[in-house]
Amino acid sequence: MEGQTFDRDTGIQVVIASLCDVFDLIDEPVPGTLDENTVIVGEGAVLDSLGVVSLIVEIEQRLEQEYEVAVTLASERAMSQRSSPFRTVGVLADYMVTTIEEDGA
Amino acid sequence: MTGEWLLERMEEWRDLTAIVWADTGCSYGELLERVERWHSELTRLGVSAGSVVVLDGEVSPNACGLLLALMSIDAIAVPLTRGVRAHRQSFAEIAEAQLIVEFDDDDGWTTTRTEHHVTNPLTGALIDRGRAGLVLFSSGSTGAHKAILHDFGQLIEKFRVSRQRKCTLTFLLFDHVGGIDTLFNTLSNGGSLITLRSRDPESVCSAIADHAVHTLPASPTFLALLLMSQAHRRHDMSSLMVIAYGTEPMPESTLARLAEELPTVTLVQTYGMSELGVLRSRSKESGSLWMQFTGDGFEVKVVDGMLWVRTPTAMLGYLNAPDLIAADGWMNTEDAVEVDGEYLRILGRSTDLINVGGQKVYPAEVESVLARLANVKTVAVYGEANAVMGQIVAARVTLIDPEDIHDFKRRMRAFAREHLAQYKVPVRVELTDDDQFNARFKKMRRPSIVHGSGKEAADGQR
Repeated sequence: MEGQTFDRDTGIQVVIASLCDVFDLIDEPVPGTLDENTVIVGEGAVLDSLGVVSLIVEIEQRLEQEYEVAVTLASERAMSQRSSPFRTVGVLADYMVTTIEEDGA
Repeated sequence: MTGEWLLERMEEWRDLTAIVWADTGCSYGELLERVERWHSELTRLGVSAGSVVVLDGEVSPNACGLLLALMSIDAIAVPLTRGVRAHRQSFAEIAEAQLIVEFDDDDGWTTTRTEHHVTNPLTGALIDRGRAGLVLFSSGSTGAHKAILHDFGQLIEKFRVSRQRKCTLTFLLFDHVGGIDTLFNTLSNGGSLITLRSRDPESVCSAIADHAVHTLPASPTFLALLLMSQAHRRHDMSSLMVIAYGTEPMPESTLARLAEELPTVTLVQTYGMSELGVLRSRSKESGSLWMQFTGDGFEVKVVDGMLWVRTPTAMLGYLNAPDLIAADGWMNTEDAVEVDGEYLRILGRSTDLINVGGQKVYPAEVESVLARLANVKTVAVYGEANAVMGQIVAARVTLIDPEDIHDFKRRMRAFAREHLAQYKVPVRVELTDDDQFNARFKKMRRPSIVHGSGKEAADGQR
């Protein structure tokens, strides 16, 4: 990602686009509204655990193909956080932006 | 003198064709003359009982002559092929070879002396007992190449029992336990060995027609390529009676299509490991993945779903790794099996097993389903480390025609969902242009690109 910053809005777009892809792949209808408050993990989540894993891989592949950014989001660090960085679309986008900045530093 | 019985037997068949190499036949008489010439040549080179010699070549008359000569003077042979030439120096060092004989395209050779002396206690003990040795290197698909020392005489002892005389196409080279098995099985029964330089389906089928080949030993990956090429429809396959497949789990889809395309051919599964030799077995019926070990001079048992074997053809040990065979002679093959009465079905290497959040996935099962998908040429399924599930299922796919990855993934998931439990459906899919098999036509299940910290291939445990 040269000379270009990866901001939160882009992050949210990537998560939502990937989420739509996952619903398409698992052949489930996309829930009415997808925004930064959509819950991914925990109560009221739109995906099961395998779905979450697919989403993370989808996001990683999308970042690689469209933004030429290679990051590992499903890391030990992500799993060891008390509050999951995969909770909602917004939280995941924040986590993604932070991880990209740290990896690129 | 090791293998005296074999050379005596070969004497009786002087006029029969032993090997067809570069489209030229070599009779048993000519092969024996080459063995004689090698005896004098080896004496001149200072090679005698207990010497360690690397043969770098293919199954050619002179290379086979040398292999037989080394066996008969109780020396230790280390057969290698061109495919591993990059490793030759290190292999010669591990085997502590004193001489390297390299064969060229015309079956001529050059010799190079090396400075190694035998210090390995395993080799030393074999030499002290006055026995011939054979060193095979593992393919290293799951890590470092291991040097496997066999008692040569013990390994070929089972061929004393006379069996059917057949014309067999060599698919595996003699640096592989399957290749050694085919070579000695053929020579001890007066059969003919057809060798091929090119191993593409077209050449293989053309050679089957030209030489009236009876038996084709081949890997499931090669057989899948054969079916795809349809080369068997363009050549006369009527002589072919047996296809013996082994070296990796056979996808049910390939087996079913093979039975459909070649209905008169008996499909037999063989089971062999470089460490154990090839064990005699019979399939429940042609085209069945269920097999029964005949127990001809060896024993098998299943412990916690794993196949254990005790056999006199087992290796003496590794020259460069800790021994795997227990003091009582039993070895855990690490092949997971399913049992049904007297029959077993090989599920795959437990080291290839993918553990998705505690649920087991065998790559072979997933590969078998994906191989049935349109536009798929080859597919390799492997586990990828994942911090959430422990491992996830990943697939590398080679397509026949170019296709957008998103379109392919959608199609693949829709198809896989109908035939596989959800946790078995590949989460990561990568398209590649490379053919995914090694020089032995054995599938490579390692990912091409390893990136990020948590994404190491999960197959490096052995």
